[in-house]
Amino acid sequence: MDVETVTERAGPRQFSPRDDMPREYREAATRMIQFHANSEIMGAYLEKPFIRQAPSLERKLAFSAKVQDEIGHGQLLYRAAETLGVKTREEMLDDLAEGEGKFLNCFHYPMESWVETPMIAFFVDGAAMRRQATLKRTSWEPYAHAMDKVCFEEGFHVKHGEHILAELATGSRKEQALLQDAFEEWWPRIIQFFGPTNDRSTHHDFSAAVGLKTMTNDELRNAFLNAYIPKAEKYGLEIPEYPRLEKQDDGTYHVREDDLDWEEFFTVAKNEDDGGIHQIDSRRAAQEAVDWVRTSMEEFGGGQAPQAAD
Amino acid sequence: MIWEVFRQEEAGGYHTHCGNVHAPDAEMAKLFAQIQHGRRKPTHSIWVVPQASVHEVDDEDTAFGGTTDKAYRWAMTYDTDASFAQEIADSEEEQAAAERQRGRR
Repeated sequence: MDVETVTERAGPRQFSPRDDMPREYREAATRMIQFHANSEIMGAYLEKPFIRQAPSLERKLAFSAKVQDEIGHGQLLYRAAETLGVKTREEMLDDLAEGEGKFLNCFHYPMESWVETPMIAFFVDGAAMRRQATLKRTSWEPYAHAMDKVCFEEGFHVKHGEHILAELATGSRKEQALLQDAFEEWWPRIIQFFGPTNDRSTHHDFSAAVGLKTMTNDELRNAFLNAYIPKAEKYGLEIPEYPRLEKQDDGTYHVREDDLDWEEFFTVAKNEDDGGIHQIDSRRAAQEAVDWVRTSMEEFGGGQAPQAAD
Repeated sequence: MIWEVFRQEEAGGYHTHCGNVHAPDAEMAKLFAQIQHGRRKPTHSIWVVPQASVHEVDDEDTAFGGTTDKAYRWAMTYDTDASFAQEIADSEEEQAAAERQRGRR
């Protein structure tokens, strides 16, 4: 199939491994799904230390279940990416370990205290969920199927994240103040989750034309802000003055791009920031530390059936 | 030789198991599967798989989902309002439906 035919036929779940897809499509889809898979893995590593730091047994159980889910989402997505025939799972995991694999801006920043957890578990996961719901209609069928399962599970993550937020927001004055500080620190990164505004986005045109992306950065950001700003306000969080978000008569937001640090964003996007390098290195160390598990599975595969983790 | 048959109703959907056929090889299995399983119900694609290639684990072999209370894994456990975002409300509804089905047996 040539690009012209793909563009004509593009629609939800339109293409599968049975179709002969052009190189441009397979590379664009691989880039997008690999980024998504990497982000699931890097998000899980960022949250993992908070299994230990969780303030109660219930939180510990839920947090460990969530981290386990995210790793599973990474695996589902690497499978979906592999079906394009551009890269194998091993190559993508090695890309990530070597700092070649790109991932979501928010997962480049250190998370140091429990009050920061809802910034990821509610706001970033909520933003991701908004985007993922639209990807159920992506044109690459294996990607859409992965989204069915991811979206099924993700409702628990976001509601659990909001539950933590609600607890901190109604906690002691100190907790409320720390929560506001965390919110102010994370808010610009959360806005940047959706990337640059449409006029500055680089990959959108082709991905939209072939049905991989179904909504623009601006549409997703607007939908997110309309749902999540009222939630933040409900919990007494003050929306930072900057970046300025100007609400238009049609309910959309105009983001003052110059209020956001795009130099930082693109440094992060290239994995050249200290936080990102630290995250990548610590995950690579984990990958190397369990290398013997993968080697044993390959060498002794076919032995006794392993027990499924529950 | 027995072949398990999986039918996909429309493009982009899932292939779900719908029965099996006797056939000496894959070509004949595809032909019989079309006739037995793809003729009346809407069908976009059919897979045939040798029965011997299907490996099973059932609820006598294992406790699916574990044996302890895992209420903390479900969206319904958290009393926050999900209606503010359609995608969260949808996810919670899918989970509630799955939990109802699990309790039905």
